[in-house]
Amino acid sequence: MSFVKCCFEAGEGHDFLDSFVQKCTDPGCCCGCCSALRPRYKRLVDNIFPASPQDGLVKSNMEKLTFYSLSSPEKLDRIGEYLFQKASRDIYRRRHGFVIIAMEAMDQLLLACHSQTLNLFVESFLKMVQKLLESTDPQLQILATQSFVRFANIEEDTPSYHRRYDFFVSKFSAMCHSNHGDTSTRDKIRLAGIQGLQGVIRKTVSDDLVENIWEAQHMDKIVPSLLYNMQSAEKYETVSCMETEARDGAEEEPPRLAECCLRELVGRASFGHIRSVLRPVLTHFDRHELWVPNDFAVHTFKIIMFSIQAQYSYSVVEALMQHVEAAGAGGAGEPRGRARVRAACAAVLSHIVAIAAADSVGPSVLEIINNLLTNLRASVARDSEKETDEKLYQEALINALGEFSDHLPDFQKIDIMMFIVNKVPSTQRGAKGTKADAMLQTILLKSLLKVGTTYKTTELSKAFPAAFLEALLRLAAAAAPPSRALLQRLLHTLLDRRHHAGLLRAPTVDYAELGLTVEKCSRQDLIFISKHGYAIFSSLYEGLQLESNTLENIETIYTTLALLCIELASEETICDIMQLILAIQQSSVSNPVLSVAQQCHLVAVSVALAALLPHVVLLPLDRLQDYIDKIIESRREEAPHLLPPLQPDYPQLGPAALPNKLPYLMIDQMAVCECLKACGVDASRLQSPSPYAAGAALALAHRHSWVEAGAAQGRDSLADIGAPPGAGLELDSAHSSPGVQRHAGSTQAAGVSLEALRRAAGGPSDAERRELERRRATLNNAFRTAPFHHLLTLTQPKYEIQEKLEEIFSSISEEPLLPASGACSPAGNTKSYQQSVPPYTKYFPELFLY
Amino acid sequence: MEDYKFLFKVVLVGNAGVGKTCLVRRFTQGLFPPGQGATIGVDFMIKTVEVDGEKVKLQIWDTAGQERFRSITQSYYRSAHALILVYDISCQPTFDCLPDWLREIEEYANNKVLRILVGNKTDREDREIPRHIGEDFAQRHGMYFLETSAKEAENVERLFMEIAVELMEQAKCKELPKYDGSLGPINGKTTSVGDTSCCLRS
Repeated sequence: MSFVKCCFEAGEGHDFLDSFVQKCTDPGCCCGCCSALRPRYKRLVDNIFPASPQDGLVKSNMEKLTFYSLSSPEKLDRIGEYLFQKASRDIYRRRHGFVIIAMEAMDQLLLACHSQTLNLFVESFLKMVQKLLESTDPQLQILATQSFVRFANIEEDTPSYHRRYDFFVSKFSAMCHSNHGDTSTRDKIRLAGIQGLQGVIRKTVSDDLVENIWEAQHMDKIVPSLLYNMQSAEKYETVSCMETEARDGAEEEPPRLAECCLRELVGRASFGHIRSVLRPVLTHFDRHELWVPNDFAVHTFKIIMFSIQAQYSYSVVEALMQHVEAAGAGGAGEPRGRARVRAACAAVLSHIVAIAAADSVGPSVLEIINNLLTNLRASVARDSEKETDEKLYQEALINALGEFSDHLPDFQKIDIMMFIVNKVPSTQRGAKGTKADAMLQTILLKSLLKVGTTYKTTELSKAFPAAFLEALLRLAAAAAPPSRALLQRLLHTLLDRRHHAGLLRAPTVDYAELGLTVEKCSRQDLIFISKHGYAIFSSLYEGLQLESNTLENIETIYTTLALLCIELASEETICDIMQLILAIQQSSVSNPVLSVAQQCHLVAVSVALAALLPHVVLLPLDRLQDYIDKIIESRREEAPHLLPPLQPDYPQLGPAALPNKLPYLMIDQMAVCECLKACGVDASRLQSPSPYAAGAALALAHRHSWVEAGAAQGRDSLADIGAPPGAGLELDSAHSSPGVQRHAGSTQAAGVSLEALRRAAGGPSDAERRELERRRATLNNAFRTAPFHHLLTLTQPKYEIQEKLEEIFSSISEEPLLPASGACSPAGNTKSYQQSVPPYTKYFPELFLY
Repeated sequence: MEDYKFLFKVVLVGNAGVGKTCLVRRFTQGLFPPGQGATIGVDFMIKTVEVDGEKVKLQIWDTAGQERFRSITQSYYRSAHALILVYDISCQPTFDCLPDWLREIEEYANNKVLRILVGNKTDREDREIPRHIGEDFAQRHGMYFLETSAKEAENVERLFMEIAVELMEQAKCKELPKYDGSLGPINGKTTSVGDTSCCLRS
């Protein structure tokens, strides 16, 4: 029947016959002009071609061909081969119309046939596509790409082991970079190139048997081609996920399509393949110098982060971080340029790190943090201060750290802060650290502050686990003045639950108009403060006694104390706080190392804090308030320099205006006791001698080591040793959690560690001894050289002279005392030691505390 | 008509503006585009030539010389059968960069790749690199050497034909491994380099 039809058609017009004859003049063609003698499939194929290419594919004959190939699939490969031969001949003769028809026919056959029969046909099909791609005509290239994409969307079920795609990857990548003179043609070719790459990716990515698309030789072509097209977009808008409306327009512009393709590629990457995508991305940015400005880099990395499988997102961060490191280590370009690139990289990092944070868990979090810190340290190590770019880089890294932790749950933030705190180099008190150490300290504290600001404190005991608190307090004493201020700011952010830090930036006495909101201190917080209060207070107290303090240091410590008052003030703690205030005031006259300005500051701070108390304790403290008001009033008249605001300097101050000359303007301990008693507060604790060593540094050098030793042991010993003797712990023991071992009053020192014993036996360390020597010298000097009337006024107040005497006395007797206590406990006999310590503290507290 | 016997991939490399694209255009299309812009990424051309009555298809990948495309162009080295390293005889810097290029080839290309050094633009009056300097350099590094002019179509055809011949010979040697088994490929290669560069010197 087909024969008849064929003849019939052939007879239809002479034109057709002519062209047919023409076509068959090839030597490869077997049977001359008589179509009837040719194999059937060839006849069928020939018949789909019209006389003139403008007429397009002969539809009815195409259907016949399809039907034939479906009914006898074994012929499919021969049909394909024949079509390919015809087409390549047409390409050679530049009869593009027929080529297009041949391609169309192949497409239709491909779609119509079942996948299991396709295998051999596909070979011809791909050869055809390649042939078209090899031609220089953009039209044919685009046509070939479209066919290829159609093919790529077919799911084959038989694997093809020998099929190679490297030509396609190479060619499509080349097309992505098309530089055709005509812009619209250029865009079409580029678009086709991207579509082709997309096709290759789809075809190969899911099938392990075919070419491994993730190999470097392919990725090095695909990724830069996509990026090259993306970077030509006028503006970069990052959409968080593949939205449908974003996809609608995607077909028209190369940048959009390239973006889609990149998303798809990244989305399909498994863990092992992420690196092979990222490496070319990073090289591309280096080569094309796209880091500065970094808009495009941010855009691209956001895309990657959004489309990557969530569990792998941290590896992007990791890769970028390593790149930052590598950029720091070496690479081309002058150092300034490199530093800028590094800063830009880090900025990109800070943009994407937040996206990673949400999905990061466990070790990967710490790894990222650790990497960031390592980079910071490396940056500090190579830093020269004049380089502002290096500063920018550090800022960017710190920002990244902040961004990252901002997206972590709160309990992890504390972990991270602990982690960072442990990385801070500890400079021994008095010993001068290197400059790099100091810088690192500052930078790490900045990072800490950044993390800290993201933390929302609910309960103090959660915000300050014992080890963390201990590390912070140690730093508070050890660091350089600017670092100390930073540390106090960190404490502010962690303490400040009700946003008072801004109001209490500088000392003041007018609290009424600040509008402080005070709530009752919770049980848990009370437990916390009774456990750690002494350690915190004495650390802050100590912080106020340093001669290197600047105005900023004093103000920040004031803010910390004020915040503590607000957060924790209650009937139970008021005495402790008052005691501290009095001690601070006292130290302004008794500490010989302080400058005049610092003395004034301390007095002002103590009165400011005292004035705060009635405002924050939820008790009627009218008497106390009146008393403080009276003091403030009289100071206003006689000695305004003893009131806030603090001045950096008090130049016009005569010797008669010094705090020690004006004892009647000071807050009097007895008077305060009376006031408190009148208000119904049990002030007995206030009457007991101050646990804060009045001799300041002299004693603290010694005491500090005790606090440290105890703290090293963990929370309970810290609490027990740290708790001031005689301070009632009833609340503490009543609410102690079951797991925590507790020691009551007399067995306070039971938890003393071997370390502490050893320390005690060895006496003060060399550094401490030197310090001691120095202090003694200054003290002696002061007494030897100061004018008589000065000494007289200095020693005039009764309790002061006693104080001084004790100080001098104890400084002489201290050394024999301690070894003696150590000698009582040979080989660390804890029991005898226990017995030997408490008596001092209990029965001779003044002596013990100088 | 897919009746070629051999398919070879040839990659052109060299600094920007030395005339790589012009060489390719001259060879594949027989024209010299005067205002040829800088290549972006990679360009692709194909040409079938006949050697000893056998058809040889040459896939020619013309890479961009600009530094920023270096990463993508490098990825094309690997599969190349022959690498044409082009410099401009009227521009000393393009010659000075050759060691860098060689290092890159060493790193990214197959170590058995056929390497040809080409000094282009012999039509220019202001020659800066004498012929023998280029020849010496090529000899030192075991490369073929040829000077061409894409503008005057001088030696262009010959360049690609020599490559096709050489590659075909190599391919045939590989096809018949028993033919000269005792002679190591390195030995054979060096003699052939010497011979050919002598004959090319003309």
